[in-house]
Amino acid sequence: MMCEQYEDQLIGLLNNELTPAEQAELEKHLAKCPGCSGELAGLREVWEMMAELETPEPSAHMRVKFQAMLDTYKESVEDAKPGVWSSIREQFGRIWQLQTRWPLAYSMVIILVGFGLGYLLFSSGKGGEQEQQLKALSSQVHELKQTMMLALLENPSASERIRGVSYTSEIKHADKEVIDALLATLNNDPNVNVRLSTLDALSHLANHPEVREGLIRSIEKQDSPIMQLAIADVMLKLQERRSVKSFEDLLKQKNLNPGVRDKIKQTITQLI
Amino acid sequence: MLRVKAGDLDRMGLLFERHHRSLYGFLFHMTYQREASEDMVQNVFYKMLKYRHTFTGQGEFVAWMFQIARNTLKDQAKKNKNKIQQLSAEEMEDKLPGGTSADEQLEKKQDKAALYKAMASLSEDHREVLTLNRLQELKYHEIGQILGISEVAAKTRAFRAMQELKSIYSKMER
Repeated sequence: MMCEQYEDQLIGLLNNELTPAEQAELEKHLAKCPGCSGELAGLREVWEMMAELETPEPSAHMRVKFQAMLDTYKESVEDAKPGVWSSIREQFGRIWQLQTRWPLAYSMVIILVGFGLGYLLFSSGKGGEQEQQLKALSSQVHELKQTMMLALLENPSASERIRGVSYTSEIKHADKEVIDALLATLNNDPNVNVRLSTLDALSHLANHPEVREGLIRSIEKQDSPIMQLAIADVMLKLQERRSVKSFEDLLKQKNLNPGVRDKIKQTITQLI
Repeated sequence: MLRVKAGDLDRMGLLFERHHRSLYGFLFHMTYQREASEDMVQNVFYKMLKYRHTFTGQGEFVAWMFQIARNTLKDQAKKNKNKIQQLSAEEMEDKLPGGTSADEQLEKKQDKAALYKAMASLSEDHREVLTLNRLQELKYHEIGQILGISEVAAKTRAFRAMQELKSIYSKMER
């Protein structure tokens, strides 16, 4: 019989797993214990024989099968990836459908209102800015035109002065400076054609009270029969009753053209 | 194996080359069926791919592999309990390669066949521990991991298995 406490050492010895110290200790014991050394001898015989036990070679087929399995598995893993995504999408879809319609509609309305408000705020802000820019620009152009007109009225060439006068039709809001310049031209310009053009231009600005007053005052200052006739026509057109007094004063002038005199008499009767 | 786990599946081919023989040897000695063992090897590698995320890297790969092999073996045993057929000593003799001289050859063949038979008649626990220990040459701490027992318990079991094998074999020789 062998000593039970040496079982582990014996199996360790067979496996060559013992440290040199353990091995020396075991050998010392084996030398004086026939039970253990006998057991070891028997076990060693079988142990050595077991090395002869053979395992048949696996067939070459196995490797091929393994490779096929690995390839299919890899493919299935790759296939599974989009599958995962679609399942996630499906889940989202289900949650979406779980929502009742009213909250959904409500949130959509909120979004639309928000969008609309944002659009209005944005567009009005921008439009105002554009309008301001446009105003500034047009006022600049306006100023430029006025300056040009005033400069042209000072020009020695009659045709240039007429051109300057014609600019006033393009000036929508003639200010006092322009009106004064035009009235001065009407009264003082040596060229009758320039004065005629100026009269025409001023008749378009007749909605300004100072223009009307200026025109009435201008009646007695005109000495050219053409101008007198033209101004009489303008007064008739404007139905300016205040001009009657000026015309009556004009009739008192002895060297008045007979044609003009008839025309003025006619105008006075029409105005009264 | 950690690389396989990280998604480098081609690394599994390397593991197959390295380990399929010992895995096959273990399964063969547990069943003595060649084809079934080959199928099980395939099965074990498939399971390692499929459950690669369960490999933590703590403990050894070989232990993990043999644990899966044992489970596969259990499943297989459940599936065809009735089908288990063991090779007779004569059949085993036929399969063994020959030695040098005719007499020696015959004697060796007979001894080996007897040992085979002795192994086959061991209890499964003992056959298992000896197959892992002697045939696959695993260390006791690895065997302990595979069987879920301590290293000392693995040694003790191996010793008892050797004793049983020796006694069966010596009875046969007589």
